Amino acid sequence: MTMLGDRQQLAYIASQAADARVNVELETEGMTLNIGPQHPATHGTLRIIARLDGEQVVWAEPSCGYMHRGYEKLAEVRTFPQVTALVNRIDWLGSFANEVPFILAAEELMGIEAPPRAQWIRTILFELSRIANVSLFLGDLGVQLGAITPVFFAFRDREYVLNLIEGATGGRFHPNFDRIGGLKDDLPAGFIDETRVVMRKMRKFCDEIEGLLFGNEIFEARTRGIGVIPRDLALQYGLSGANLRGSGVDWDLRRDQKLPMAWDKVDWKVWTHPDGDSYARCWIRLQEVRESTLIVEKLLDSLPSGPVMAKVPRIIKVPEGEAWVSTENPLGEMGYYVVSKGELGPFRVKIRSASFNNISIVPWLLKGVYVPDIITILASLYFILGDIDR
Amino acid sequence: MAKVPGLLKGLGVTLGTMVETITKGANTVQYPHEKETPPIRSRGVIALHEGNCTSCMLCARSCPDWCIYIEGHKELAPPRRAGGKPRQVNKLDRFDIDYALCMYCGICVEVCPFDALFWSPEYEYSEPRIADLLHDKAKLGEWMETVPEAPELEAGAEKKSKK
Repeated sequence: MTMLGDRQQLAYIASQAADARVNVELETEGMTLNIGPQHPATHGTLRIIARLDGEQVVWAEPSCGYMHRGYEKLAEVRTFPQVTALVNRIDWLGSFANEVPFILAAEELMGIEAPPRAQWIRTILFELSRIANVSLFLGDLGVQLGAITPVFFAFRDREYVLNLIEGATGGRFHPNFDRIGGLKDDLPAGFIDETRVVMRKMRKFCDEIEGLLFGNEIFEARTRGIGVIPRDLALQYGLSGANLRGSGVDWDLRRDQKLPMAWDKVDWKVWTHPDGDSYARCWIRLQEVRESTLIVEKLLDSLPSGPVMAKVPRIIKVPEGEAWVSTENPLGEMGYYVVSKGELGPFRVKIRSASFNNISIVPWLLKGVYVPDIITILASLYFILGDIDR
Repeated sequence: MAKVPGLLKGLGVTLGTMVETITKGANTVQYPHEKETPPIRSRGVIALHEGNCTSCMLCARSCPDWCIYIEGHKELAPPRRAGGKPRQVNKLDRFDIDYALCMYCGICVEVCPFDALFWSPEYEYSEPRIADLLHDKAKLGEWMETVPEAPELEAGAEKKSKK
């Protein structure tokens, strides 16, 4: 059978399975429920249109674009250093991670590579932004399911990580620390010792969240078996990050591709979970925060000395060419396709953000579920609204 | 040993946190009465050292949202040595930063070739009227007093950090 035939058949089976979940025996009047676009609990705007039959969703669709800021177009009229300040604001919870693929793409075009110390510090800050991002997810998850305590714990402990990022880069949320050819500056004194303390705190935070949520009977009842994404479907919808690993696909760009970063210099584990339900996705993220703290500690042990900036001209002109670089960001695969015509700024930038592809499965996933489970599923998919619309 | 029910385990975690808060104190501070000092590198407000500025417009041109307004004119200054020709110097008439537009990226501070702009970690300059967020060169000059020394670098760093 051809590849296309395979796909069509699988899509057909998937839609049949989703239809079978809808209860057709009880005939009730249909109702359209708009979730969003504005909601006080969300930081951003996304509207989900759900057509209900009683308590069940028969059709749902995410309607995005309410927060579209046109970064791809804005990047065309800005120089390369200015674009870095812009892309900070795509996924605002892990903003340092947004800069890295763009800078790597520009470096690839220019044919330069950052010095080892800069690669190490980049990776450390990348993982710190992942910890800050995902730890907020772990707290937010509780709120979505009706538990208020975890979010206070998350905000308390995320602040330590943000203080680290601010101490090193100058910005809590928008570091703008990456430069073509290296980093703006070296780490301030005391950063390493402080980071070790904070990493221990974050592991304690993970234990607390595990004690609060992951052993809890109510939490398990709300998430186990809810929003199951089969392995093949996850691959076909182009999911990435913890959503894909939660469906049992062993795929992590940090390990699988060769980049001038320091992930391959230390040993760490890619966590996967075979279930593919909401619980699996949340559990993967919890383990990833733990793993990230270990990665940071190992990288601090082997931090090389030397300069943090390669030799680059003062006015940066990127030579003509095209480059695609993607990295494993807190939310999944994030990539930049940069086309340069040899001028001060990029000619065209295509941004592949993880959340936009991750919510493409929402129409399939929400079909047939009950209304309270919508929130569980959306929370466990974990998207940042700025990352969807960018 | 029987498995501890998850609810009790969760209550144990919150109880532990409560004891910690009572014994060690809360993590939050009561803001107007107590203040946390931001890190040295923190990007709070931009200070202008007017004497160094040559109104070269590099910062205004490299600003991603064009929130720096500069006007200047050329003036003749007395010669350095006796008998020399009068020098031509750039005189700064206007240097405004609109903090309502500024996105605190720090590109202007970085591109300045004459070290006229500096970051200060001060953050308390909110205004009831948005037009008051436009800081002129006198106000930007006042921030110079709050600019800290650059922090020491971590072991293994190569060169001294500037700014």
